[in-house]
Amino acid sequence: MSAPISFARASRWYGPVIALNDVTIDIPPGVTGLLGPNGAGKSTFLKLTAGQLRPSQGEVRLLGQPAWGSPELFHRVGLCPEADAFWEQLSGLQLLVTLLRLTGYDEAECRQRAENALHQVDLLDAKNRKLGGYSKGMRQRIKLAQSIAHDPDVLLLDEPVSGMDPVNRRRVIDLVRRLGREGKTVLVSSHILHEIEAMTRQVLLIHNGRILAEGDVREIRDLLDEHPHTVALRARDPRALAAAVVGWPSVLSLSFGEEGEWLTVQTARPDEFYGALHDAALESGVVEMYSPDEDLESVFRYLVAR
Amino acid sequence: MRDTTQPLPFVPATRAVFDLSLEGMIWSRRSLLMGLLVALPAVLAVVYRVVLASGTPARGLAPLDLYALVVAVFWIRNVLPLAALFHATSLVADEVEGRTLTYLLTRPITRPAILAGKFAAYLVTSLAVALPAAVLTFFLLASARGWSGVGAAVPDLFRDLGVMALSLVAYGALFTLMGVLLKRPVIPGLLFLFGWELLANLPGYLPRLTLTTWLRSLIRHRPAEEGLSQLFAQVQPVGWSLTVLFVASAVFLAAAAFIFTQREYVLEQ
Repeated sequence: MSAPISFARASRWYGPVIALNDVTIDIPPGVTGLLGPNGAGKSTFLKLTAGQLRPSQGEVRLLGQPAWGSPELFHRVGLCPEADAFWEQLSGLQLLVTLLRLTGYDEAECRQRAENALHQVDLLDAKNRKLGGYSKGMRQRIKLAQSIAHDPDVLLLDEPVSGMDPVNRRRVIDLVRRLGREGKTVLVSSHILHEIEAMTRQVLLIHNGRILAEGDVREIRDLLDEHPHTVALRARDPRALAAAVVGWPSVLSLSFGEEGEWLTVQTARPDEFYGALHDAALESGVVEMYSPDEDLESVFRYLVAR
Repeated sequence: MRDTTQPLPFVPATRAVFDLSLEGMIWSRRSLLMGLLVALPAVLAVVYRVVLASGTPARGLAPLDLYALVVAVFWIRNVLPLAALFHATSLVADEVEGRTLTYLLTRPITRPAILAGKFAAYLVTSLAVALPAAVLTFFLLASARGWSGVGAAVPDLFRDLGVMALSLVAYGALFTLMGVLLKRPVIPGLLFLFGWELLANLPGYLPRLTLTTWLRSLIRHRPAEEGLSQLFAQVQPVGWSLTVLFVASAVFLAAAAFIFTQREYVLEQ
Protein backbone atom coordinates (compact mmCIF):
# COMPACT_ATOMS: atom_id res chain seq x y z
CA MET A 1 0.00 0.00 0.00
CA SER A 2 1.38 3.43 -0.94
CA ALA A 3 2.21 6.11 1.63
CA PRO A 4 -0.46 8.80 2.14
CA ILE A 5 2.00 11.47 1.01
CA SER A 6 4.59 10.69 -1.60
CA PHE A 7 7.15 12.89 -3.40
CA ALA A 8 9.04 11.40 -6.33
CA ARG A 9 11.96 13.54 -7.52
CA ALA A 10 9.78 16.59 -7.03
CA SER A 11 11.23 20.04 -7.61
CA ARG A 12 9.61 23.39 -7.62
CA TRP A 13 11.04 26.69 -8.68
CA TYR A 14 9.70 30.23 -8.88
CA GLY A 15 11.43 31.81 -11.85
CA PRO A 16 15.15 31.37 -11.19
CA VAL A 17 14.67 30.56 -7.48
CA ILE A 18 14.61 26.90 -6.49
CA ALA A 19 12.23 26.45 -3.57
CA LEU A 20 12.31 22.66 -3.47
CA ASN A 21 15.02 20.60 -5.05
CA ASP A 22 14.65 16.99 -6.20
CA VAL A 23 12.79 15.65 -3.19
CA THR A 24 11.91 11.97 -2.97
CA ILE A 25 10.17 10.89 0.18
CA ASP A 26 7.23 8.85 1.48
CA ILE A 27 5.44 10.13 4.55
CA PRO A 28 3.65 7.41 6.54
CA PRO A 29 0.56 7.77 8.76
CA GLY A 30 1.14 9.40 12.14
CA VAL A 31 2.55 12.82 12.93
CA THR A 32 5.56 13.98 10.92
CA GLY A 33 7.26 17.26 11.69
CA LEU A 34 8.60 19.37 8.87
CA LEU A 35 11.34 21.40 10.43
CA GLY A 36 13.35 24.17 8.86
CA PRO A 37 14.06 27.87 9.10
CA ASN A 38 11.99 30.45 7.23
CA GLY A 39 12.67 30.23 3.51
CA ALA A 40 13.79 26.61 3.78
CA GLY A 41 10.96 25.37 1.56
CA LYS A 42 8.47 24.20 4.20
CA SER A 43 5.52 26.16 2.85
CA THR A 44 6.31 25.12 -0.72
CA PHE A 45 6.47 21.50 0.46
CA LEU A 46 3.06 21.85 2.11
CA LYS A 47 1.53 23.69 -0.85
CA LEU A 48 2.73 21.00 -3.22
CA THR A 49 1.29 18.37 -0.89
CA ALA A 50 -2.01 20.25 -0.72
CA GLY A 51 -2.20 20.56 -4.51
CA GLN A 52 -1.94 24.35 -4.38
CA LEU A 53 1.18 24.29 -6.51
CA ARG A 54 2.18 22.08 -9.40
CA PRO A 55 5.64 20.52 -9.20
CA SER A 56 7.97 22.00 -11.80
CA GLN A 57 9.46 18.53 -12.13
CA GLY A 58 8.68 15.11 -10.67
CA GLU A 59 5.49 14.01 -8.97
CA VAL A 60 3.62 14.63 -5.74
CA ARG A 61 0.91 12.16 -4.76
CA LEU A 62 -1.61 12.46 -1.99
CA LEU A 63 -3.65 9.43 -0.94
CA GLY A 64 -2.48 7.73 -4.12
CA GLN A 65 -3.63 10.48 -6.49
CA PRO A 66 -1.77 13.38 -8.05
CA ALA A 67 -2.03 16.22 -5.55
CA TRP A 68 -2.48 18.90 -8.23
CA GLY A 69 -5.88 19.02 -9.93
CA SER A 70 -7.69 16.53 -7.70
CA PRO A 71 -10.24 18.58 -5.71
CA GLU A 72 -12.05 15.41 -4.58
CA LEU A 73 -9.06 14.74 -2.30
CA PHE A 74 -10.25 17.51 -0.01
CA HIS A 75 -13.04 15.31 1.30
CA ARG A 76 -10.18 13.57 3.12
CA VAL A 77 -7.58 16.32 3.47
CA GLY A 78 -7.49 19.35 5.75
CA LEU A 79 -5.13 22.30 5.43
CA CYS A 80 -4.33 24.85 8.11
CA PRO A 81 -2.59 27.59 6.10
CA GLU A 82 0.03 29.90 7.51
CA ALA A 83 -1.59 33.12 6.27
CA ASP A 84 -3.61 34.94 8.91
CA ALA A 85 -6.54 35.68 6.62
CA PHE A 86 -10.30 35.22 6.81
CA TRP A 87 -13.56 36.64 5.56
CA GLU A 88 -13.61 39.02 8.50
CA GLN A 89 -17.34 39.68 8.35
CA LEU A 90 -18.10 36.07 9.34
CA SER A 91 -18.27 34.73 12.88
CA GLY A 92 -16.20 31.69 13.85
CA LEU A 93 -19.23 29.45 13.60
CA GLN A 94 -20.27 30.91 10.22
CA LEU A 95 -16.79 30.31 8.82
CA LEU A 96 -16.81 26.67 9.80
CA VAL A 97 -20.40 26.07 8.66
CA THR A 98 -19.64 27.72 5.32
CA LEU A 99 -16.52 25.66 4.74
CA LEU A 100 -18.32 22.48 5.77
CA ARG A 101 -21.09 23.27 3.29
CA LEU A 102 -18.36 23.49 0.67
CA THR A 103 -17.31 20.02 1.77
CA GLY A 104 -20.77 18.65 1.09
CA TYR A 105 -22.47 18.31 4.46
CA ASP A 106 -26.09 19.23 5.07
CA GLU A 107 -27.04 22.14 7.29
CA ALA A 108 -27.58 20.14 10.50
CA GLU A 109 -24.35 18.19 10.14
CA CYS A 110 -22.42 21.36 9.30
CA ARG A 111 -23.52 22.92 12.54
CA GLN A 112 -22.84 19.84 14.61
CA ARG A 113 -19.37 19.33 13.11
CA ALA A 114 -18.57 23.03 13.40
CA GLU A 115 -19.46 23.10 17.09
CA ASN A 116 -17.46 19.94 17.69
CA ALA A 117 -14.39 21.45 16.01
CA LEU A 118 -14.82 24.71 17.93
CA HIS A 119 -15.00 22.72 21.13
CA GLN A 120 -11.76 20.93 20.27
CA VAL A 121 -9.89 24.23 19.96
CA ASP A 122 -11.71 25.84 22.91
CA LEU A 123 -13.53 28.46 20.87
CA LEU A 124 -17.11 27.43 21.53
CA ASP A 125 -17.71 30.45 23.77
CA ALA A 126 -16.51 32.80 21.02
CA LYS A 127 -18.37 31.07 18.19
CA ASN A 128 -20.69 34.01 17.45
CA ARG A 129 -18.02 36.70 17.54
CA LYS A 130 -16.86 38.17 14.24
CA LEU A 131 -13.47 36.89 13.15
CA GLY A 132 -12.29 40.49 12.87
CA GLY A 133 -12.52 40.66 16.66
CA TYR A 134 -10.52 37.48 17.35
CA SER A 135 -7.07 37.72 18.95
CA LYS A 136 -4.07 36.27 17.11
CA GLY A 137 -4.18 33.08 19.14
CA MET A 138 -7.91 32.65 18.49
CA ARG A 139 -7.35 33.18 14.79
CA GLN A 140 -4.72 30.45 14.82
CA ARG A 141 -7.16 28.12 16.55
CA ILE A 142 -10.06 28.83 14.20
CA LYS A 143 -7.75 28.04 11.27
CA LEU A 144 -6.99 24.74 12.90
CA ALA A 145 -10.68 24.12 13.58
CA GLN A 146 -11.60 24.56 9.91
CA SER A 147 -8.92 22.06 8.95
CA ILE A 148 -10.19 19.31 11.29
CA ALA A 149 -13.94 19.93 11.16
CA HIS A 150 -14.56 17.42 8.36
CA ASP A 151 -12.48 14.74 10.10
CA PRO A 152 -9.86 14.37 7.35
CA ASP A 153 -7.47 11.44 7.01
CA VAL A 154 -4.60 13.75 6.09
CA LEU A 155 -3.96 16.98 7.92
CA LEU A 156 -1.47 19.58 6.71
CA LEU A 157 -0.61 22.17 9.34
CA ASP A 158 1.57 25.16 8.47
CA GLU A 159 3.05 26.64 11.67
CA PRO A 160 -0.14 25.83 13.63
CA VAL A 161 0.92 27.08 17.07
CA SER A 162 2.65 30.26 15.95
CA GLY A 163 1.52 33.18 18.13
CA MET A 164 -0.42 31.07 20.64
CA ASP A 165 -0.15 31.44 24.38
CA PRO A 166 1.40 28.50 26.27
CA VAL A 167 -1.91 27.04 27.44
CA ASN A 168 -3.42 26.86 23.98
CA ARG A 169 -0.10 25.78 22.50
CA ARG A 170 -0.24 22.80 24.87
CA ARG A 171 -3.84 22.12 23.90
CA VAL A 172 -3.06 22.13 20.18
CA ILE A 173 0.00 19.95 20.66
CA ASP A 174 -2.14 17.43 22.54
CA LEU A 175 -4.74 17.54 19.76
CA VAL A 176 -2.12 16.85 17.08
CA ARG A 177 -0.71 13.96 19.08
CA ARG A 178 -4.17 12.50 19.53
CA LEU A 179 -4.91 12.74 15.81
CA GLY A 180 -1.65 10.94 15.12
CA ARG A 181 -2.56 8.17 17.56
CA GLU A 182 -5.93 7.81 15.80
CA GLY A 183 -4.06 6.89 12.62
CA LYS A 184 -4.36 10.18 10.76
CA THR A 185 -1.48 11.40 8.66
CA VAL A 186 -0.46 14.75 10.10
CA LEU A 187 2.28 16.80 8.47
CA VAL A 188 3.10 19.78 10.63
CA SER A 189 5.63 22.46 9.77
CA SER A 190 7.51 24.62 12.19
CA HIS A 191 10.80 26.40 12.56
CA ILE A 192 10.92 25.54 16.25
CA LEU A 193 12.48 22.25 17.12
CA HIS A 194 10.94 22.10 20.55
CA GLU A 195 7.45 22.59 19.14
CA ILE A 196 7.85 19.72 16.72
CA GLU A 197 9.47 17.59 19.35
CA ALA A 198 6.44 18.01 21.60
CA MET A 199 4.21 16.63 18.83
CA THR A 200 6.24 13.83 17.33
CA ARG A 201 9.55 12.05 17.11
CA GLN A 202 9.33 11.66 13.34
CA VAL A 203 10.85 14.67 11.60
CA LEU A 204 11.97 15.86 8.21
CA LEU A 205 14.69 18.46 8.27
CA ILE A 206 14.44 20.81 5.33
CA HIS A 207 16.94 23.47 4.39
CA ASN A 208 17.50 25.40 1.15
CA GLY A 209 14.84 23.32 -0.55
CA ARG A 210 16.42 19.98 0.24
CA ILE A 211 15.51 17.32 2.76
CA LEU A 212 18.62 17.24 4.95
CA ALA A 213 17.57 14.36 7.13
CA GLU A 214 14.58 12.31 8.18
CA GLY A 215 14.06 10.17 11.20
CA ASP A 216 13.86 10.32 14.96
CA VAL A 217 14.07 13.81 16.40
CA ARG A 218 16.16 12.55 19.32
CA GLU A 219 19.02 11.79 16.98
CA ILE A 220 19.32 15.41 15.97
CA ARG A 221 18.43 16.62 19.42
CA ASP A 222 21.63 15.01 20.72
CA LEU A 223 23.57 17.11 18.24
CA LEU A 224 22.01 20.29 19.51
CA ASP A 225 22.34 19.96 23.22
CA GLU A 226 25.00 22.58 23.67
CA HIS A 227 23.49 24.99 21.18
CA PRO A 228 21.84 28.04 22.82
CA HIS A 229 18.15 28.41 22.10
CA THR A 230 16.33 31.77 22.11
CA VAL A 231 12.74 32.20 23.28
CA ALA A 232 10.83 35.48 23.01
CA LEU A 233 7.85 35.90 25.37
CA ARG A 234 5.27 38.69 25.42
CA ALA A 235 3.64 39.02 28.81
CA ARG A 236 1.36 41.40 30.64
CA ASP A 237 4.01 41.59 33.38
CA PRO A 238 7.38 40.80 31.79
CA ARG A 239 9.31 41.93 34.85
CA ALA A 240 7.49 39.41 37.05
CA LEU A 241 8.23 36.76 34.45
CA ALA A 242 11.89 37.74 34.41
CA ALA A 243 12.03 37.56 38.19
CA ALA A 244 10.50 34.09 38.10
CA VAL A 245 12.84 32.59 35.50
CA VAL A 246 16.12 34.38 36.21
CA GLY A 247 17.26 31.83 38.76
CA TRP A 248 16.52 28.73 36.70
CA PRO A 249 19.61 26.67 35.85
CA SER A 250 18.38 26.33 32.25
CA VAL A 251 18.44 30.11 31.66
CA LEU A 252 21.64 31.59 30.24
CA SER A 253 20.57 35.22 29.82
CA LEU A 254 17.58 37.57 29.78
CA SER A 255 16.83 40.81 27.96
CA PHE A 256 13.80 43.10 27.63
CA GLY A 257 12.42 44.23 24.28
CA GLU A 258 12.20 47.89 23.30
CA GLU A 259 8.51 48.27 24.04
CA GLY A 260 8.83 46.61 27.42
CA GLU A 261 6.31 43.84 26.72
CA TRP A 262 8.79 41.32 25.40
CA LEU A 263 11.27 39.26 27.34
CA THR A 264 13.95 37.34 25.43
CA VAL A 265 15.47 34.31 27.11
CA GLN A 266 18.52 32.34 26.04
CA THR A 267 18.54 28.78 27.27
CA ALA A 268 20.96 25.91 26.83
CA ARG A 269 18.34 23.36 27.86
CA PRO A 270 15.08 24.12 26.06
CA ASP A 271 13.28 21.01 27.32
CA GLU A 272 13.88 21.90 30.91
CA PHE A 273 13.02 25.56 30.29
CA TYR A 274 9.73 24.85 28.49
CA GLY A 275 8.83 22.25 31.08
CA ALA A 276 9.25 24.73 33.92
CA LEU A 277 7.66 27.65 32.07
CA HIS A 278 4.01 26.67 32.32
CA ASP A 279 3.26 27.94 35.87
CA ALA A 280 5.38 31.08 35.56
CA ALA A 281 3.71 31.88 32.26
CA LEU A 282 0.25 31.65 33.79
CA GLU A 283 1.17 33.92 36.70
CA SER A 284 2.79 36.62 34.60
CA GLY A 285 0.18 36.51 31.84
CA VAL A 286 2.23 35.31 28.87
CA VAL A 287 0.15 36.00 25.78
CA GLU A 288 2.56 35.13 22.99
CA MET A 289 5.71 33.11 22.62
CA TYR A 290 7.99 32.28 19.74
CA SER A 291 11.50 31.25 18.99
CA PRO A 292 13.20 33.71 16.63
CA ASP A 293 13.99 32.16 13.31
CA GLU A 294 17.62 33.25 13.26
CA ASP A 295 18.13 30.80 16.05
CA LEU A 296 17.06 27.81 13.98
CA GLU A 297 18.96 29.15 11.00
CA SER A 298 22.08 29.03 13.13
CA VAL A 299 21.13 25.56 14.31
CA PHE A 300 20.93 24.42 10.71
CA ARG A 301 24.25 26.01 9.87
CA TYR A 302 25.61 24.18 12.86
CA LEU A 303 24.08 20.89 11.70
CA VAL A 304 25.19 21.27 8.11
CA ALA A 305 28.68 22.07 9.25
CA ARG A 306 28.80 18.84 11.21
CA MET B 1 -24.38 9.73 1.64
CA ARG B 2 -21.48 11.82 0.34
CA ASP B 3 -19.48 10.44 -2.54
CA THR B 4 -15.93 11.19 -1.48
CA THR B 5 -14.42 9.93 -4.71
CA GLN B 6 -15.80 12.89 -6.67
CA PRO B 7 -15.82 16.65 -6.21
CA LEU B 8 -19.13 18.08 -5.01
CA PRO B 9 -21.73 18.33 -7.78
CA PHE B 10 -21.57 21.63 -9.65
CA VAL B 11 -24.88 23.13 -8.53
CA PRO B 12 -24.60 22.71 -4.73
CA ALA B 13 -20.94 23.78 -4.86
CA THR B 14 -21.84 26.87 -6.88
CA ARG B 15 -24.68 27.64 -4.50
CA ALA B 16 -22.42 27.42 -1.45
CA VAL B 17 -19.82 29.73 -3.03
CA PHE B 18 -22.62 32.08 -4.11
CA ASP B 19 -23.97 32.34 -0.55
CA LEU B 20 -20.52 33.01 0.83
CA SER B 21 -19.67 35.60 -1.82
CA LEU B 22 -22.99 37.43 -1.82
CA GLU B 23 -22.75 38.70 1.73
CA GLY B 24 -19.21 39.97 1.26
CA MET B 25 -20.08 41.56 -2.07
CA ILE B 26 -23.29 43.35 -1.11
CA TRP B 27 -21.71 45.31 1.71
CA SER B 28 -18.38 45.99 0.03
CA ARG B 29 -17.26 49.57 -0.56
CA ARG B 30 -17.03 48.83 -4.27
CA SER B 31 -20.69 47.77 -4.40
CA LEU B 32 -21.83 50.82 -2.49
CA LEU B 33 -19.94 53.17 -4.81
CA MET B 34 -21.13 51.44 -7.97
CA GLY B 35 -24.64 51.29 -6.50
CA LEU B 36 -24.65 55.04 -6.00
CA LEU B 37 -23.48 55.59 -9.57
CA VAL B 38 -26.00 53.16 -11.05
CA ALA B 39 -28.84 54.68 -9.02
CA LEU B 40 -27.89 58.26 -9.94
CA PRO B 41 -30.53 58.61 -12.72
CA ALA B 42 -33.25 57.72 -10.22
CA VAL B 43 -32.08 60.59 -8.01
CA LEU B 44 -31.94 62.93 -11.00
CA ALA B 45 -35.43 61.84 -12.00
CA VAL B 46 -36.69 62.82 -8.55
CA VAL B 47 -35.03 66.22 -8.99
CA TYR B 48 -36.63 66.52 -12.44
CA ARG B 49 -40.05 65.85 -10.93
CA VAL B 50 -39.47 68.37 -8.15
CA VAL B 51 -38.49 71.00 -10.71
CA LEU B 52 -41.62 70.23 -12.74
CA ALA B 53 -43.80 70.38 -9.64
CA SER B 54 -42.40 73.81 -8.78
CA GLY B 55 -43.95 75.13 -11.98
CA THR B 56 -40.70 75.67 -13.89
CA PRO B 57 -41.43 75.07 -17.58
CA ALA B 58 -39.63 71.96 -18.88
CA ARG B 59 -37.45 72.49 -21.95
CA GLY B 60 -35.36 70.15 -24.03
CA LEU B 61 -36.06 66.43 -24.20
CA ALA B 62 -39.43 64.89 -23.51
CA PRO B 63 -39.38 62.74 -20.32
CA LEU B 64 -39.51 59.41 -22.18
CA ASP B 65 -36.72 60.54 -24.52
CA LEU B 66 -34.71 61.46 -21.48
CA TYR B 67 -35.37 57.98 -20.06
CA ALA B 68 -34.27 56.39 -23.35
CA LEU B 69 -31.07 58.43 -23.27
CA VAL B 70 -30.35 57.29 -19.72
CA VAL B 71 -30.89 53.63 -20.65
CA ALA B 72 -28.84 53.65 -23.85
CA VAL B 73 -26.04 56.04 -23.06
CA PHE B 74 -25.75 56.18 -19.29
CA TRP B 75 -26.49 52.59 -18.27
CA ILE B 76 -25.88 50.29 -21.19
CA ARG B 77 -23.02 52.16 -22.80
CA ASN B 78 -21.17 53.44 -19.73
CA VAL B 79 -22.13 52.68 -16.17
CA LEU B 80 -23.14 49.03 -16.30
CA PRO B 81 -19.99 48.05 -18.25
CA LEU B 82 -18.02 50.04 -15.69
CA ALA B 83 -19.77 48.25 -12.81
CA ALA B 84 -19.04 44.95 -14.55
CA LEU B 85 -15.40 45.93 -14.96
CA PHE B 86 -14.87 46.74 -11.29
CA HIS B 87 -16.84 43.78 -9.95
CA ALA B 88 -15.99 41.01 -12.36
CA THR B 89 -12.25 41.63 -12.63
CA SER B 90 -12.04 41.29 -8.87
CA LEU B 91 -13.99 38.05 -8.43
CA VAL B 92 -10.80 36.04 -7.95
CA ALA B 93 -8.44 38.96 -7.31
CA ASP B 94 -10.24 39.89 -4.07
CA GLU B 95 -9.76 36.36 -2.71
CA VAL B 96 -6.12 36.43 -3.74
CA GLU B 97 -5.55 39.84 -2.19
CA GLY B 98 -7.40 38.83 0.98
CA ARG B 99 -5.49 35.51 0.97
CA THR B 100 -8.78 33.64 1.45
CA LEU B 101 -8.59 31.79 -1.86
CA THR B 102 -6.75 28.94 -0.12
CA TYR B 103 -9.90 28.07 1.84
CA LEU B 104 -11.88 27.71 -1.38
CA LEU B 105 -9.17 25.79 -3.22
CA THR B 106 -8.83 23.25 -0.41
CA ARG B 107 -12.45 22.10 -0.55
CA PRO B 108 -13.74 19.26 -2.72
CA ILE B 109 -15.21 21.64 -5.29
CA THR B 110 -14.09 22.32 -8.82
CA ARG B 111 -12.66 25.67 -9.76
CA PRO B 112 -15.38 26.32 -12.37
CA ALA B 113 -17.92 25.98 -9.55
CA ILE B 114 -16.02 28.59 -7.54
CA LEU B 115 -16.00 30.96 -10.48
CA ALA B 116 -19.67 30.32 -11.27
CA GLY B 117 -20.72 30.98 -7.67
CA LYS B 118 -18.81 34.22 -7.55
CA PHE B 119 -20.10 35.31 -10.97
CA ALA B 120 -23.66 34.62 -9.86
CA ALA B 121 -23.10 36.71 -6.73
CA TYR B 122 -21.77 39.59 -8.84
CA LEU B 123 -24.77 39.36 -11.14
CA VAL B 124 -27.32 39.33 -8.32
CA THR B 125 -25.58 42.21 -6.53
CA SER B 126 -25.48 44.34 -9.67
CA LEU B 127 -29.01 43.51 -10.78
CA ALA B 128 -30.36 44.23 -7.30
CA VAL B 129 -29.24 47.84 -7.75
CA ALA B 130 -29.62 48.39 -11.48
CA LEU B 131 -33.11 46.99 -12.08
CA PRO B 132 -34.94 48.84 -9.28
CA ALA B 133 -33.11 52.04 -10.29
CA ALA B 134 -34.32 51.58 -13.87
CA VAL B 135 -37.91 50.89 -12.81
CA LEU B 136 -37.95 53.91 -10.53
CA THR B 137 -36.41 56.18 -13.16
CA PHE B 138 -38.88 54.96 -15.77
CA PHE B 139 -41.97 55.65 -13.67
CA LEU B 140 -40.70 58.98 -12.38
CA LEU B 141 -39.99 60.22 -15.91
CA ALA B 142 -42.81 58.51 -17.80
CA SER B 143 -45.45 59.87 -15.43
CA ALA B 144 -43.98 63.37 -15.35
CA ARG B 145 -46.78 64.67 -17.55
CA GLY B 146 -49.48 62.36 -16.33
CA TRP B 147 -50.10 58.62 -16.39
CA SER B 148 -51.89 58.44 -19.72
CA GLY B 149 -49.02 57.15 -21.89
CA VAL B 150 -47.26 55.11 -19.25
CA GLY B 151 -49.04 51.81 -19.85
CA ALA B 152 -48.05 51.72 -23.51
CA ALA B 153 -44.38 52.23 -22.62
CA VAL B 154 -44.22 49.46 -20.00
CA PRO B 155 -43.26 46.72 -22.52
CA ASP B 156 -40.25 48.83 -23.43
CA LEU B 157 -39.34 48.99 -19.76
CA PHE B 158 -39.29 45.19 -19.54
CA ARG B 159 -37.20 45.03 -22.65
CA ASP B 160 -34.77 47.56 -21.21
CA LEU B 161 -34.48 45.57 -18.00
CA GLY B 162 -33.63 42.49 -20.04
CA VAL B 163 -30.99 44.35 -22.04
CA MET B 164 -29.48 45.81 -18.88
CA ALA B 165 -29.26 42.33 -17.39
CA LEU B 166 -27.71 41.02 -20.59
CA SER B 167 -25.25 43.88 -20.55
CA LEU B 168 -24.14 42.88 -17.04
CA VAL B 169 -23.85 39.25 -18.16
CA ALA B 170 -21.85 39.94 -21.33
CA TYR B 171 -19.47 42.55 -19.94
CA GLY B 172 -19.24 40.62 -16.67
CA ALA B 173 -18.20 37.47 -18.51
CA LEU B 174 -15.59 39.35 -20.53
CA PHE B 175 -14.14 41.05 -17.47
CA THR B 176 -14.16 37.82 -15.48
CA LEU B 177 -11.96 36.40 -18.22
CA MET B 178 -9.69 39.45 -18.08
CA GLY B 179 -9.60 39.14 -14.29
CA VAL B 180 -8.21 35.60 -14.34
CA LEU B 181 -6.00 36.24 -17.36
CA LEU B 182 -4.27 39.46 -16.35
CA LYS B 183 -2.62 40.53 -13.14
CA ARG B 184 -3.79 44.14 -13.51
CA PRO B 185 -6.95 44.02 -15.62
CA VAL B 186 -8.53 47.41 -14.84
CA ILE B 187 -6.52 49.58 -17.26
CA PRO B 188 -6.94 47.13 -20.18
CA GLY B 189 -10.62 46.94 -19.26
CA LEU B 190 -11.00 50.71 -19.37
CA LEU B 191 -9.17 50.79 -22.70
CA PHE B 192 -11.56 48.19 -24.01
CA LEU B 193 -14.63 50.10 -22.82
CA PHE B 194 -13.61 53.56 -23.91
CA GLY B 195 -11.38 52.66 -26.83
CA TRP B 196 -12.33 49.45 -28.52
CA GLU B 197 -16.05 49.82 -27.93
CA LEU B 198 -16.02 53.13 -29.85
CA LEU B 199 -15.64 51.01 -32.98
CA ALA B 200 -19.39 50.55 -32.66
CA ASN B 201 -19.79 54.06 -34.11
CA LEU B 202 -17.84 53.35 -37.29
CA PRO B 203 -19.32 52.21 -40.57
CA GLY B 204 -18.55 48.78 -41.98
CA TYR B 205 -17.98 45.41 -40.35
CA LEU B 206 -15.91 46.48 -37.34
CA PRO B 207 -18.87 47.41 -35.08
CA ARG B 208 -19.80 43.74 -35.01
CA LEU B 209 -16.65 43.12 -32.99
CA THR B 210 -18.01 45.21 -30.12
CA LEU B 211 -20.52 44.22 -27.47
CA THR B 212 -22.15 47.65 -27.63
CA THR B 213 -23.42 47.12 -31.16
CA TRP B 214 -25.30 43.96 -30.23
CA LEU B 215 -26.67 45.40 -27.00
CA ARG B 216 -27.76 48.63 -28.65
CA SER B 217 -29.60 46.61 -31.28
CA LEU B 218 -31.85 45.16 -28.61
CA ILE B 219 -33.21 48.48 -27.37
CA ARG B 220 -36.41 49.42 -29.14
CA HIS B 221 -36.57 53.14 -28.40
CA ARG B 222 -33.44 54.91 -29.56
CA PRO B 223 -32.34 58.13 -27.89
CA ALA B 224 -32.97 61.11 -30.09
CA GLU B 225 -29.54 62.58 -29.52
CA GLU B 226 -26.49 60.39 -29.80
CA GLY B 227 -24.39 62.87 -31.74
CA LEU B 228 -22.43 61.75 -34.77
CA SER B 229 -22.70 58.14 -33.77
CA GLN B 230 -26.34 58.32 -34.78
CA LEU B 231 -25.22 58.60 -38.39
CA PHE B 232 -23.43 55.27 -38.41
CA ALA B 233 -25.07 53.28 -35.64
CA GLN B 234 -25.91 49.84 -36.93
CA VAL B 235 -28.93 47.89 -35.85
CA GLN B 236 -28.58 44.13 -35.99
CA PRO B 237 -31.51 41.68 -35.96
CA VAL B 238 -32.75 40.92 -32.44
CA GLY B 239 -32.42 37.15 -32.71
CA TRP B 240 -28.92 37.41 -34.06
CA SER B 241 -27.97 39.93 -31.36
CA LEU B 242 -29.24 37.66 -28.60
CA THR B 243 -27.38 34.70 -30.05
CA VAL B 244 -24.11 36.60 -30.36
CA LEU B 245 -24.35 37.96 -26.82
CA PHE B 246 -25.20 34.61 -25.24
CA VAL B 247 -22.54 32.73 -27.19
CA ALA B 248 -19.90 35.39 -26.45
CA SER B 249 -20.77 35.31 -22.73
CA ALA B 250 -20.59 31.52 -22.63
CA VAL B 251 -17.25 31.51 -24.45
CA PHE B 252 -15.79 34.18 -22.14
CA LEU B 253 -16.93 32.31 -19.03
CA ALA B 254 -15.72 28.95 -20.30
CA ALA B 255 -12.32 30.43 -21.13
CA ALA B 256 -12.18 32.08 -17.68
CA ALA B 257 -13.02 28.78 -15.99
CA PHE B 258 -10.36 26.97 -18.01
CA ILE B 259 -7.66 29.51 -17.16
CA PHE B 260 -8.68 29.60 -13.49
CA THR B 261 -8.45 25.81 -13.37
CA GLN B 262 -4.93 25.83 -14.78
CA ARG B 263 -3.51 28.71 -12.79
CA GLU B 264 -1.49 28.48 -9.61
CA TYR B 265 -1.99 31.11 -6.97
CA VAL B 266 1.05 31.81 -4.84
CA LEU B 267 -0.38 33.87 -1.99
CA GLU B 268 1.80 36.19 0.06
CA GLN B 269 2.27 35.02 3.66
